[in-house]
Amino acid sequence: MSGTSMTTRAWLLMLPLLVVMIAVIGWPLVDTVGLSFTDAKLVGTGGNFVGIDNYAKMLANSNFQRTLITTAWFAIISVAAEMVLGVLAALLLNQNFKGRGVLRALMILPWALPTVVNATLWRLIYNPEYGALNALLTQLGLLNAYHSWLGEPGTALTALIVADCWKNFPLVALIALAALQAVPRDITAASLVDGAGPFKRFRFVILPYLVGPLMVALVLRTIEAFKVFDIIWVMTRGGPANSTRTLSILVYQEAFSFQRAGSGASLALIVTLLVTVLAAAYATLVRKTAGSAA
Amino acid sequence: MERQSPLFTCFLYVCAVLLAVVILAPIAWLFIMSISPAADLAAKPLRWWPQTADFSRYKVLLSTLENSEGAAFTSSLRNSIEVAGMATIAAIALAIPAGWAVSRTPSVGWSLSLVIATYMLPPVALAVPLYMGLAHLGMLNNVFGLALVYLTILAPFTTWLMKSGFDSIPKEIEAAAMIDGAGLFQTLKIITLPLAMPVMATSALFAFLLAWDEFFYALLFTSDQRAKTLTVAIADLAGGRVSDYGLIATAGVLAALPPVLIGLVMQRALISGLTNGGVKG
Amino acid sequence: MSALEIQNIRKSYGALETLKGIDISLESGEFLVLLGSSGCGKSTLLNIIAGLAEATSGDIHIGGRSVLGVHPKDRDIAMVFQSYALYPNLSIHRNIGFGLEMRKVPKVERDKAVREAARLLQIEPLLERKPSQLSGGQRQRVAIGRALVRKPEVFLFDEPLSNLDAKLRMEMRTELKRLHQMLKTTVVYVTHDQIEAMTLATRIAVMRDGRIEQLGTPDEIYNHPATLYVATFVGAPPMNLLNATAHQGSLRIDGTSITLPMPPTKAQIKQEQQLVIGIRPETLYLDESGQLEAVCEVAELTGPELIVTAQAGSQRLMACLPPRTAIAEGEMLKLGFDAGSLQLFDRATGLRCA
Repeated sequence: MSGTSMTTRAWLLMLPLLVVMIAVIGWPLVDTVGLSFTDAKLVGTGGNFVGIDNYAKMLANSNFQRTLITTAWFAIISVAAEMVLGVLAALLLNQNFKGRGVLRALMILPWALPTVVNATLWRLIYNPEYGALNALLTQLGLLNAYHSWLGEPGTALTALIVADCWKNFPLVALIALAALQAVPRDITAASLVDGAGPFKRFRFVILPYLVGPLMVALVLRTIEAFKVFDIIWVMTRGGPANSTRTLSILVYQEAFSFQRAGSGASLALIVTLLVTVLAAAYATLVRKTAGSAA
Repeated sequence: MERQSPLFTCFLYVCAVLLAVVILAPIAWLFIMSISPAADLAAKPLRWWPQTADFSRYKVLLSTLENSEGAAFTSSLRNSIEVAGMATIAAIALAIPAGWAVSRTPSVGWSLSLVIATYMLPPVALAVPLYMGLAHLGMLNNVFGLALVYLTILAPFTTWLMKSGFDSIPKEIEAAAMIDGAGLFQTLKIITLPLAMPVMATSALFAFLLAWDEFFYALLFTSDQRAKTLTVAIADLAGGRVSDYGLIATAGVLAALPPVLIGLVMQRALISGLTNGGVKG
Repeated sequence: MSALEIQNIRKSYGALETLKGIDISLESGEFLVLLGSSGCGKSTLLNIIAGLAEATSGDIHIGGRSVLGVHPKDRDIAMVFQSYALYPNLSIHRNIGFGLEMRKVPKVERDKAVREAARLLQIEPLLERKPSQLSGGQRQRVAIGRALVRKPEVFLFDEPLSNLDAKLRMEMRTELKRLHQMLKTTVVYVTHDQIEAMTLATRIAVMRDGRIEQLGTPDEIYNHPATLYVATFVGAPPMNLLNATAHQGSLRIDGTSITLPMPPTKAQIKQEQQLVIGIRPETLYLDESGQLEAVCEVAELTGPELIVTAQAGSQRLMACLPPRTAIAEGEMLKLGFDAGSLQLFDRATGLRCA
């Protein structure tokens, strides 16, 4: 079986997948790029070429800048919280106690819950008149009056972050748990014999094995956080007072609410570029830490 | 391996209970809301447990009577199953040859990396051209159109998983089959694919979960019962002027059942699939 | 007509040349062992013979006809892989008969052939099981059986015993020899284990860096190694190599005052030529009048022999002495040897002085 005929055969087998991807993603992507250089509206005839006008206007736009900060804040806080909570939960689940298996099985539930259901659930919990959170806090005496968690710019984003973290930290926990269970027993034993306490053990023995998978989880979760749309849309639509408006919501508004397809396209590509750069930065970090760890 | 002090053990159990409560409380509350009478839910102070459990809402939503709320729900349920099912089958069908090709001929691997990189595209980036494209083909508000779009979301994942699965089937077995005289098709049919069945099952379930969960494209590309999926239906309920929150909760429980069941059953396989692919990727 | 002819096979991966011109001619019934350490190209050569890899240039003839560009299944070969490569989801019966099944041999004939091979390899009771239910040694027999039923012109083995434990390896080695003697098949066998090579081969090709260092019978390889590499590769403990200089018709061992008589050789030995003397440990014995003097460092009793490591000047050598020899650490030993067993190599080229 010659090398070249094997390669030809491989390409033929790849063809169906590549054709579908190019037709359904590649083509619209090229179209979006084209759109971004025009002032096209959503309905009606195609727009006129305006060069990089859309990009310039968008980057200078204070709405965009504020939304970028909101999105970055959302991403950093929620991902950091998921990582910390996930690792703590994993450390717990790695210990020996009765019911550990059941607890581990339960961890998949938040992740399995559809995003929209999760968003709806928390919206009901945060409801200003009948929500469970208000009821719980007042009944415990921690709050005097019912609060509108999603209705006030000060608390809305945080409430969203809590909902998002709850759904996603178990996944991080399960990934971290798998990594923990892969730590070779003899290294842990050696460190015990050497007299290392739990914190030192964590830092020198366990952490190196955690870093790799955690980095991957970090990259995936950060990309997701920057792309976030569903949970925001269902819970607050980007309000109140645009305090929870993230980049994807802004694109939606620009392209579909204001019908400025060209401008929306340029924003969409800015977001894509941002995410790609982030991912690439992380990927290099992963490779570097993977080299020095273990 | 470690001897645990009783204090530590106590600490562990406290933490474990805390974790369990954090995980279960919201889910349990969702279920309780779905079986609590509307009055209980509107009461102040809130009643945490209904006096009489009321399962009638499930019947309401699952009814297929014309023009009832149930009709909208059941048709969206049916649409979700159809769309997710078709997209999953297609995603697996594409993933098998492509995954095998990349596994056995690494030099074409870069094209798969590109395909997987599409994951970084926010759906909003493609929304407008896709909308116009589907409109042009008359596939808006159509389960086939939606399934086609979903295919592009699922295919990178299924192909990656299948590639990893094929990687773990030694090439020597296929070389032996080749020397024995089996053609490519025979080798795949008799030897390779039967061995890849577990991975295929995992990929299919994972793909189904992804499709079931999708909201954005469904929101944009569907407008009525003919194609609206469950996620849009629930968002409709939640955003609408529904006074009975219990009904919304019921819809949530029903929508959550398939992925939760799949998640519980497939747990180990899903995580190992993600970590294996992830760590190497 | 030879069973297998390898003509000037070369293989390059880009700029890296892994096979630099291999020529071998095998008669029917011969057992050729390709011996070498990892990276020498032996597995690559085997894959090229099988058709699993393509040579950059050169030709292969099997049964008298060229198989260049011919699909593996049409080359009349059968292969036993290091990992056995059994089909995990098929029964042993189907595993063995698979090659015949693909060639559309009628079921009755196929069954008969499978049972015959199973009987030969003593695996008849395992026919209905699956590979995962078998032990390593049993799986190996199944892999051999799968090759046997095809009755090919050439059998190819790729380090088949590497995955077995030491004891099983010895048993299977004997088994393979027995089968070869019975069936008189033509075999090409790849291994890095020199004992397998010595015991199984009719001829050994010692390979290094993509070239054949020496092609010869086990006796030739062992007793008349063509290069220093071959000399040290085969034999355990390895052949002693002592740096020496030719001086007035004798050999003076560097760093000592020991002089040994020059062995009869057709080669032109120049005065003061730098040489290497090769003496196998088992040819040394304690001799009061022995000329080789060395100080004993360590004596290891293995059971059947006493392996003594000694120093002559700054050079080390080993001797295999009878187990009951009384030797003390630090003792000065006088060793003798049979003059004919002394090998001479040129130090610069590593080649034997013929």
